Amino acid sequence: MRSLREALLGFGRAKTMSFFAIVSTGFSLLALGMFALALLNLNTLIRYFESKVEIVVYIRDNADTGRVGMAVEDLGRVEGVDRVNFVSKEEALEHFRRDLGADSDLLQDLESNPVPASLNITMKPGYRDTLHVQAVAARAAELSFVEEVDYGREWLRRMDIFKHVVSVVGVISGALLSLVALVLISSAIKIAVFSRSREIFIMKIVGATNGYIRRAFLIEGVLKGTLGGALAAGGIFAITELFNRKLIPITGFTDRYYLYTVAAGALLGLLGSWISLGRYLRRI
Amino acid sequence: MIEFSNVSAGYAKGARVLDGINFHIDKGEFVFLTGPSGSGKSTLLKLIYHDLRPLLGEIRVAEYSSRRISRRKIPYLRRKLGIVFQDFGLLESRTVGENVAFALEVTGAPRSFIRRRVSEALEQMGLGGKECCYPLELSGGEQQRVAIARALVGEPYALIADEPTGNLDPGISREILMRLEDINAMGMAVLLATHDYSLLKDRDHVRRLYVSGGRLIYDGPTGSFAPEAPPASGGNLPPVG
Repeated sequence: MRSLREALLGFGRAKTMSFFAIVSTGFSLLALGMFALALLNLNTLIRYFESKVEIVVYIRDNADTGRVGMAVEDLGRVEGVDRVNFVSKEEALEHFRRDLGADSDLLQDLESNPVPASLNITMKPGYRDTLHVQAVAARAAELSFVEEVDYGREWLRRMDIFKHVVSVVGVISGALLSLVALVLISSAIKIAVFSRSREIFIMKIVGATNGYIRRAFLIEGVLKGTLGGALAAGGIFAITELFNRKLIPITGFTDRYYLYTVAAGALLGLLGSWISLGRYLRRI
Repeated sequence: MIEFSNVSAGYAKGARVLDGINFHIDKGEFVFLTGPSGSGKSTLLKLIYHDLRPLLGEIRVAEYSSRRISRRKIPYLRRKLGIVFQDFGLLESRTVGENVAFALEVTGAPRSFIRRRVSEALEQMGLGGKECCYPLELSGGEQQRVAIARALVGEPYALIADEPTGNLDPGISREILMRLEDINAMGMAVLLATHDYSLLKDRDHVRRLYVSGGRLIYDGPTGSFAPEAPPASGGNLPPVG
């Protein structure tokens, strides 16, 4: 209780230093948060494109419907396959007609339906990459009644490269940004602790135990970090709102992620104070 | 109660600052610690409050011995001492009352006891009514009296003062000395380090320790001290380690 009072008093007494530590923590976490927001939206975009991945298995006109039906069930049981839809020749023609739109008159003079029936296979999330799609496509191609299998091989390959680049750049940039944030925050806390080294000395000289001093400074560090985290969370919310209302709709943080941002601030405040204080406590 | 037995001390990778120091201070004694600048007076005081550990020998303060004390126990040893510095060592952002109370708060003393003791210590130092002032609103002499009030508020066995009058003019210095003598008259030992020899004037009967070149040259009444006396065992001190 006394440590909490000491922390609150210390907080108010060193106003400039407290402000500096809070703002440093806030802006560092805001930068990290913005980065996380960018990654989150890139992932949303990737998931959207991935949802369009589809394997189309074209069926020969003379295929036995019983065998096709069995193949639908077999392929539906393959790992990663979400759904297998049978599209009849008639449905396929209808789709084709709809796609042609105003030019659908061109199909008026056809004597027979040239569009093949197909099995349209969609994959479960997490299986929409070249490796899994190719495996399912190869399995479908082995069926005797199959004319051709199409899954946008080139498009899928580019998608894989894009995902890989995003994850590598994400990890490296995230690590660098975290490091810069950590250095900035710990420097701010170090300066705050250094500016009070005389106070720490006097505390020790009058007989304060390391635990008493540490508790007060750690509580103060957590308070500053929490406020810095709240500042960052507020900033991320404001930026998300700005995008959604004035620019383009984006995916924002869920409540849990806002809470994580504040908690990260508190944790950084705690660790920064612990490390910075250690030096002074050992010295005397 | 404060006992040095064959103590040698120094700082890392340097010459020894003190060598072969032996003395003993009893409860209720008043002792001047004198010597030229750089002679090792402050180092000797640091050894008492364990800001520095001896290289050789043993220091005993109350029930604590430098040979056996753990780092964890040092704060408890310091609570047996009241320490006063030349630069007062007050926290400028805290009021006079808070500065004095601070020494008791760290011990976990009850709030009502702290309030009573702070008030008593400030009254004793002639600072009644100044409890809510900030240190920088006070004169140098008043600030040093606040520092003394903080040192004695925990009713320690001994008060250790390192050049407490170094920043004060002669009149105020004498007043501070009288305050320390009053505290001593109530039974608290006082060890006062100074190189202001005017403070020793008319105090021939008071015990004096004289340190020079890192060695204790004299231990006896101020009146019998002969400043030209050569060191008992002169010469350069051996290096550390």
